[in-house]
Amino acid sequence: MPSRIRTRTRTALAAVPLALALTALTACGAGSPAAEPDTTDWDALTHDELVERAQEEGTVTVYAFTSRIAQVEAAFEAEYPGIDVVASDISSTELITRLASEHAAGSATADVAYVSDAPVVVTELLADGVLVPYVPPRVAGALPEEYRSPLVANRLSTKVLMYNEEAYPDGSPVQNLWALTEPEWAGKVVLVDPNVRGDYLDLATELSLRADEMAAAYEEHTGEALVLDEGVEDAGLQFLADLYANDAVLVDDTDTVNAAVGATGQAAPPVGFTSYSDRRDNEDEGWALQVAAGVAPSPGIAFPAQIGVTADAANPAAARLLADFLMGDDSGTGGPGFEPFYVAGDYPTRTDVEAPADAVSLDELGAWEIDPEASAARRGDVADFLLTVQ
Amino acid sequence: MRAATARGAAAARRPVVWLAAGVVAVLVLLVALPLGGLVRATVGPGADGAWGDVASGPLADALLWQPLRGSLLVGLGTGVLATVLGAFLAWVVVLSDVPGRKVIGVLAAVPFALPSFALALAWETVFRNDRVGGNPGLLAALGVAVPDWLAWGPVPVVLTLVAHYFSLSYLVIAAALANVGGDVVAAAELTGASRLRVATRIVLPSVAPAVLSGFLLAFAEGVSNFAVPALLGLPVRFQTLSTRLYGAISTGDAERGYVLSIVLVVVAGLVLLVGNRLTAGRSYSTITGKATRARLVRTGAARLPLAALAWALVAATAVVPGVVLALSTVLRRSGSLDGGLTWHYWVGESDPSVAQGLRGVLRDPTVLDALGGTLRLGVVVAVCAVVLGALAAAVLRALPRARALHATVGLLGYVPFLIPGVALGAAVIAQFGAPTGPLPALYGTFAILVLAGVAASLPFALQTARAAFGQVSRELDEAAVLTGAVAPRRFARITLPLVSRGLANGAVLVFVTMVRDLSVVVLLVTPATPLLSMTTFRYASEGFTQHANAITLVIALIAVTATLLARRLEPGRKES
Repeated sequence: MPSRIRTRTRTALAAVPLALALTALTACGAGSPAAEPDTTDWDALTHDELVERAQEEGTVTVYAFTSRIAQVEAAFEAEYPGIDVVASDISSTELITRLASEHAAGSATADVAYVSDAPVVVTELLADGVLVPYVPPRVAGALPEEYRSPLVANRLSTKVLMYNEEAYPDGSPVQNLWALTEPEWAGKVVLVDPNVRGDYLDLATELSLRADEMAAAYEEHTGEALVLDEGVEDAGLQFLADLYANDAVLVDDTDTVNAAVGATGQAAPPVGFTSYSDRRDNEDEGWALQVAAGVAPSPGIAFPAQIGVTADAANPAAARLLADFLMGDDSGTGGPGFEPFYVAGDYPTRTDVEAPADAVSLDELGAWEIDPEASAARRGDVADFLLTVQ
Repeated sequence: MRAATARGAAAARRPVVWLAAGVVAVLVLLVALPLGGLVRATVGPGADGAWGDVASGPLADALLWQPLRGSLLVGLGTGVLATVLGAFLAWVVVLSDVPGRKVIGVLAAVPFALPSFALALAWETVFRNDRVGGNPGLLAALGVAVPDWLAWGPVPVVLTLVAHYFSLSYLVIAAALANVGGDVVAAAELTGASRLRVATRIVLPSVAPAVLSGFLLAFAEGVSNFAVPALLGLPVRFQTLSTRLYGAISTGDAERGYVLSIVLVVVAGLVLLVGNRLTAGRSYSTITGKATRARLVRTGAARLPLAALAWALVAATAVVPGVVLALSTVLRRSGSLDGGLTWHYWVGESDPSVAQGLRGVLRDPTVLDALGGTLRLGVVVAVCAVVLGALAAAVLRALPRARALHATVGLLGYVPFLIPGVALGAAVIAQFGAPTGPLPALYGTFAILVLAGVAASLPFALQTARAAFGQVSRELDEAAVLTGAVAPRRFARITLPLVSRGLANGAVLVFVTMVRDLSVVVLLVTPATPLLSMTTFRYASEGFTQHANAITLVIALIAVTATLLARRLEPGRKES
């Protein structure tokens, strides 16, 4: 899709000065008083040298936002028998607070973090030098620029429009997002309150950042140009205001959306924004979730899960080795390090790893890939706007 | 001037003054410093006008006023109704002749041990309508049109929280009723006082401190609960300060969240002040000399209706949610009977086709590890918190005229519920994560979990201790002074046995909160100290509902066992 390529170039250009600024930041400001300045040129080490150093350290502590890190732990310890992985899994919000608090207190902390909520990571952790980027040289060539910077990402997850394929066997009942603001879908659109959950705020923010596409979609849908209400800044925010005014149902978590949209046996089920990869639970849970791929202008967002090394890492080599491992090996599916994340509906960032079968490709899906920095700059205003329309 | 110095010197010679200073110092360390950190964060350079956004301007209505109204409604509704229900059941169990009251007594303590979301789920199971979509509740499935106000919003939120927290009032008031001197009641009856007069002039006043404590606890829990208003309130956009503050923190605007939690602290402080005013200046001491139990009230014709009411209450709040929770662990599909029943989630071997190959919780060695860690933490925190609470209550009692002391200890001992767990955890890291003075770095140790746990559960310990101490007549102590007994001996031999039931209840509440609660320890726990609540979170966040609920049920069983054990340990049980 041309729009995506354009975005990538734009992000890439924007990222150059930022990456420089970040390197400068992390080089001077970071680190607790106790920490020795780390002058190692990690990118210059060969893989074997990195493994050797990591084995000398013998252990690595990781904070991860997913419990699937336990599988990574087992696989890593099988691959590198001398290195013990100590894994904690806590939610992204708590992970971010914990890393920041531990950094500020100069207390012991993790060596490496695997974290979602990219816009908050950028503002709370990267800007303060709590995390430093590390792009494993082994995979750098196969990673598009936006997944190398500001932090390396190993996969994308989604928050996209899903419908019930049992009730709508002929495909998505919605072709254009603006249909959701019309009487037919009044009280029939379910999403997690973006003022409660960060990934949904990212979705709302992206709608505002893509205001031009939203305006064009409105015109395509109604044949008329969009007229903004007073006090509404752009087409994305106008959509959100109209969606809220159309009695959209806000809930507290993604599984509630899945059950509401997906439960089988419903005559007129709602549609809702949720994770495409949750479709894999259809059989277990008795759901009929299907993605509204190709809805105009986009069914939602794809956002990265990122890996960063802590500035105060006690085991800097093992931390980088684990980051390297999380990026997957050179087999077509990423091998054991990536296996826990190789699920239909999530997308590997490496261009040389095939996307899992049983899901439409990222291009067909048409989800907007968020730009964490642009999102971070905009999301506060979007959150405030949403407060005024409910 | 000289007089003041002399007074100061005299005060300094009294050990109780030193004890008071010690208690205040611990409270400052555990509560005031985290609270101070919260305030600092909201006025610092990173705060980005958080106070302005909240207090004035176009967002104030959505951020402050509407949620504040919601919180007051939820808090006062929960506090009042929970206290009324708790007092009723306490009376039924302790003083009435209603059949099966012993069993009612056990069941009434159960709801607090259940997670609040289990009660909310039970509500949904019955009352869910088509507002959100998905599978309807029982009533809707039977064709009954359930209105939105009954399925979602303030009514179900308050009723669910009441169902959860009336246990608090029940435990505190039952302990107090058990201590009402039978001789006082008997004397009143001999003088010809009517039953109503005995109830309103003797029994009720004597449990007033317990009623107030129960109300204050239920109020604070009600306004700080996030899970229930989020689950049942959001679909109709009913907001409380707690949903707003957790929302702000989890979307990356922590400072704004902290402002809202400071607002909550202020609101709770005002409620505490009003509550204390209402009971100030009176004496509620009813335990004098020989403690005999009041004899049972004969309820006559009202006996069966009262029994039916009490049984209905505990059935709706303990039995039904407990069964719903238990059932949810054996459903092959979460929340639906369609898939049939299975024990797989309890005892199954790893099967790649179910829950990504996760084995049953009883087969998982990490669960057993976590069980040990959880019990240890619960017991240690309960003991520490109750010792601190009892010392604080004893000091307040010994120094009745020290107004500033009362205000400080009262407020600091009451507000920890209202400090978001994440913020409290972050504050504990800031204070103890790195070496400070003589203290080594406590990062990753058991001790740091205990510190955070004591800070977070202090309100239970302090409120139950104050209610218990408030009943003990000072005359007993004074009589002992005449016999020449020294203060520690008087405390150990006279006061302590009399307040032990109240303290045991406090210990149970703290223990239950610790084995159940996640938010406070989540920033501090490391894989070296596994906890059940972490395991539940792990399962729930991956969508393994049955596994998560199975562990929740284990936690509830532990909590109920603890409650029963505490009752066994009670001294003076033989008398009844």
